[in-house]
Amino acid sequence: MESYTLKEESPVIKVIINIFLVIWAVINLFPIYFMFTFSLKSNEEIFGENIIGLPKHWLWSNYSSALNTGNMALYFFNSLLVTTLAIAISIMAAMMACYAITRIKWKFSGLTNAFFMLGLTIPIQASIVPVYVVMSKAHWLNKYSTLIVPYSAFALSMAILICTGFMSEIPFALDEAARIDGCGLFGTFFKIILPLMKPAVSTVGIYSYLQCWNEFMFANVFISDSKHRTLPVGIKALSGQYTTDWGPIGAALAIATFPTLIVYLFLSRKIQASFIAGAVKG
Amino acid sequence: MSEKKKRKIEEGLAIFVFLLPGLFLFISILIAPIAVSVYRSMFDWNGFSEGTFIGFDNYIELFTNGSIKFVNSLKNSLILAFFSVFVQLPLALMLALILGRHETRKERTFLSIFFMPVLISTVVIGQLWLKIYNPDYGLLNRFLDAVHLESWKHVWVGDIKTALGSIIVPTVWQYVGYHMLLMYAGVKGVDLDLREAAMLDGATKWQVDRYVVIPIIKPILRVSVIFAVTGSLKTYDLVRILTEGGPFQSTEVPSTLLENMLFLRNRYGMGSTISVMLILLCFAFALLISAAFKERDE
Amino acid sequence: MKKRIASILMAGLMTFSIFGCGSQAPAAETSDNTQTETKADTTETAPAAEQTESTEAAAIPTDEQITLNMWCIATESDSNRHAYEAAIAEMAEKYPNITLNWEAFENQSYKTKIKAAVSANEMPDIFFTWSCAFLGDFVDAGKVYCLDDVYPKFASELPENMLGNTTYDGKHYGVPTTMNIVGLFANMDLLAEVGYTEVPGTYEEFIACCDALKEKGIIPFGCAGKETWCVTEYLESVIEKSVGADTLNDIFLGRDTWNNPDVAAAVDTFQTLVNNGYFDPSGIGLTNDEVKNNFIAGKYAFYMNGTWNCADFASNAEFLPKVKVAEFPVINSDKAKLGQLIGGPSDTLAVAASSPNAEIAAEYAMELGKLICHYGYLDGCGLPAWTPYGDTSTINPLTQTVADICANADTFVLFGDTAMDADSANTYLSYVDQVYGCQVNGDQFIEGLAKDIR
Repeated sequence: MESYTLKEESPVIKVIINIFLVIWAVINLFPIYFMFTFSLKSNEEIFGENIIGLPKHWLWSNYSSALNTGNMALYFFNSLLVTTLAIAISIMAAMMACYAITRIKWKFSGLTNAFFMLGLTIPIQASIVPVYVVMSKAHWLNKYSTLIVPYSAFALSMAILICTGFMSEIPFALDEAARIDGCGLFGTFFKIILPLMKPAVSTVGIYSYLQCWNEFMFANVFISDSKHRTLPVGIKALSGQYTTDWGPIGAALAIATFPTLIVYLFLSRKIQASFIAGAVKG
Repeated sequence: MSEKKKRKIEEGLAIFVFLLPGLFLFISILIAPIAVSVYRSMFDWNGFSEGTFIGFDNYIELFTNGSIKFVNSLKNSLILAFFSVFVQLPLALMLALILGRHETRKERTFLSIFFMPVLISTVVIGQLWLKIYNPDYGLLNRFLDAVHLESWKHVWVGDIKTALGSIIVPTVWQYVGYHMLLMYAGVKGVDLDLREAAMLDGATKWQVDRYVVIPIIKPILRVSVIFAVTGSLKTYDLVRILTEGGPFQSTEVPSTLLENMLFLRNRYGMGSTISVMLILLCFAFALLISAAFKERDE
Repeated sequence: MKKRIASILMAGLMTFSIFGCGSQAPAAETSDNTQTETKADTTETAPAAEQTESTEAAAIPTDEQITLNMWCIATESDSNRHAYEAAIAEMAEKYPNITLNWEAFENQSYKTKIKAAVSANEMPDIFFTWSCAFLGDFVDAGKVYCLDDVYPKFASELPENMLGNTTYDGKHYGVPTTMNIVGLFANMDLLAEVGYTEVPGTYEEFIACCDALKEKGIIPFGCAGKETWCVTEYLESVIEKSVGADTLNDIFLGRDTWNNPDVAAAVDTFQTLVNNGYFDPSGIGLTNDEVKNNFIAGKYAFYMNGTWNCADFASNAEFLPKVKVAEFPVINSDKAKLGQLIGGPSDTLAVAASSPNAEIAAEYAMELGKLICHYGYLDGCGLPAWTPYGDTSTINPLTQTVADICANADTFVLFGDTAMDADSANTYLSYVDQVYGCQVNGDQFIEGLAKDIR
């Protein structure tokens, strides 16, 4: 590691670089501090009296009102369930599609791949009403699956993009060996390829998570009973037509964000590794 | 011969079965609605009554009606795309290169921190920046007061001169981490031996980055540029929170226009027209960028 | 004393006229309405409360189990929440066989949601809606159940003139709950600093007061430029008090052209207020929440906004003694006079035509609307569209003042963005936005609107 640092930069540049990194880090940490203090303040403090200082009165009641009257615990569970299942479905579908595209030689495999990549460019607003009309005709509203299916569809393109990279890394020799052992195409996929694709799971998971967790439009239109509501809609529902109490909204936002951040900190090494893996392969 | 045929049949079956779930999801949720949108874009329709077929009139009106401001909204997203590509990505690349040099002990810590804004909900980011821009008690104006630059003070999100800039800054900032991590991955993937060889030839670290690392991570840069441009065309959240498209619709972007048409103005046909245009543009830019990178390679 | 206020209010409600926004000629509509009203009056002589009790028992079957769904915007922090909860609880007690599943959504996202539901024919049995154009689009599409069959039973408690905004082609489609007007809220502590103990009653005095405030370094008006409806609260009042209520009503309802030089002059008057520096220059970048908090914090002397704010101001014990509410003064007394107000019943319940129990839902919505109105009035969330009953002595003083203003009212002009259809309303709002930012003057405003509104 030391071997190639032959030409040292002047220490001044090094210090400047480090100062820059620290300043950038502070800028990036600030929102977290802001969110936390915001969630413990009253409207008066949020709007003017004390914007960035520590709260004068620590209103933990904001959290209890977000949890009790705002029902955040239920919405959190719903979001978690919907996001997890959507990720699971998109990963499975993506891996299967990838297998057909990359491991089997056929005429239109390249075209099919390009077709899936179209999905990266489609804005979510564009499809909301047609999908809604179809789903309501099929009596498929107000269920968890109402959100899970569209979410997994929207996560699919990115998942295929990432999986293709991972799968092309797996040597073809493995497939051939399996065939010689008498494995069919299905057997090869389930017994050989799938176990080797484990690292792809967390990578796809992160990208899909970023897409699903904060999604608002579908969740708002497709779900009408509060039993199946997800966090973003629940948070919005905390504000009223004429008045809004911002403290509990801050608390709800913190509830929606901190678990993610905590998980991220614990897993950051692994998550980064897989995020990176996705980038290299993608 | 028959063995080969059997194998062909098995392969065909496998392709069908393996593609089925993906294609089903993809076509029913994404492609079919687009087809419906293309069809609906030919109608003057409010979403619930009977519509009238008007051919391409919506497309013409999109560019001729002064109160729709589609051209202006497109210009705004292209300005945003410009800043994404020429400010956000270079910044991300610089961070990635510095952290990728195996020097800073705190490499991992910095990396984690720089990625955090990506994980935080846009609502929080938007609220934070509203507090920064607030004309009376906002941090920015207070800072200008403190350094005696009162004449620089603005009603940042309410002034036609500064509103678009007020959206660009947080948008560019929030996703620096996203692109940084993508690029960092590429930088880490560069073979150590290559670096060492270059160093032994007397290259400085900056030269190594410029002539060895950057050419290697070009494919990742291409993906980043595509994401940055199509992402800019689809921007929505921060515009809604920071300016609501105002003042005087000067910061409207295609996605906010689309939503206004669909749900505020009850012009479902026109909304479909905008979404068709948006998809076409995203796709065209993705092809264009790919082509540009290819040309450079040759 | 309080009873007196209620009865004055009622008398007032009976005399003023609210123009309907149906697509048919208003004359035919009025004659139609009077007929229904007289019929109701002559046939139903029994005391109101008893009357409804008996008729409903007959209309809503008590033996079979029925489930009704309702969507509204009374979210946890909405000021109407308590009124909804209380009203629904009372209904549940009265009709144990009817289960009401109700869900509340945030205001802006609700608009998206209800429109998507109407497109897909997935509406709940009973839904919240805004009156006039918002509901009108759904009525035109044949998605709303007509309430004419059930209305006569409630006619003695729900004055016909309260239904103008939900009457289309002479048919009733909505159950109004509360109504609100634009009020001129004043911080009396700040006014006292420049020697005023009352809100100025004439426009000259009012301007003199603003000048004095400005002199003292106090900002007269706060107005949220980021939410254009807040600007209309000022602009529409100025226009109405310049050109008169009838003219403005005709323009809003499409019976007259925008191309009216008096309107242009009124817009110029408004821009004079802006250019004289009466408005907080920061306001253009603020949301209504922020402006309202500034007003409570004592940054502005005046705040023109809907009277739904009464409940909020009243619940702030520190602020309530400082604040008064009044009517905006007359600018041109040749054309306008006091008692011409901006506002009217807008919050409405409606019944979906697709509901399998539409008939029962209609009765239920009527009674529920009455109760929401009752509790909402007691809470100070707005004025009642229904005849008030019970003890109203606990209502906050601000709402009582507003009730007095309304009792003396002569004409109401509904908020422009509610009165116009969705597309026109947004064109209108974008011009109002430009007026506030002085991008267009009065002449450009009227010419632009005359040209761009389809």
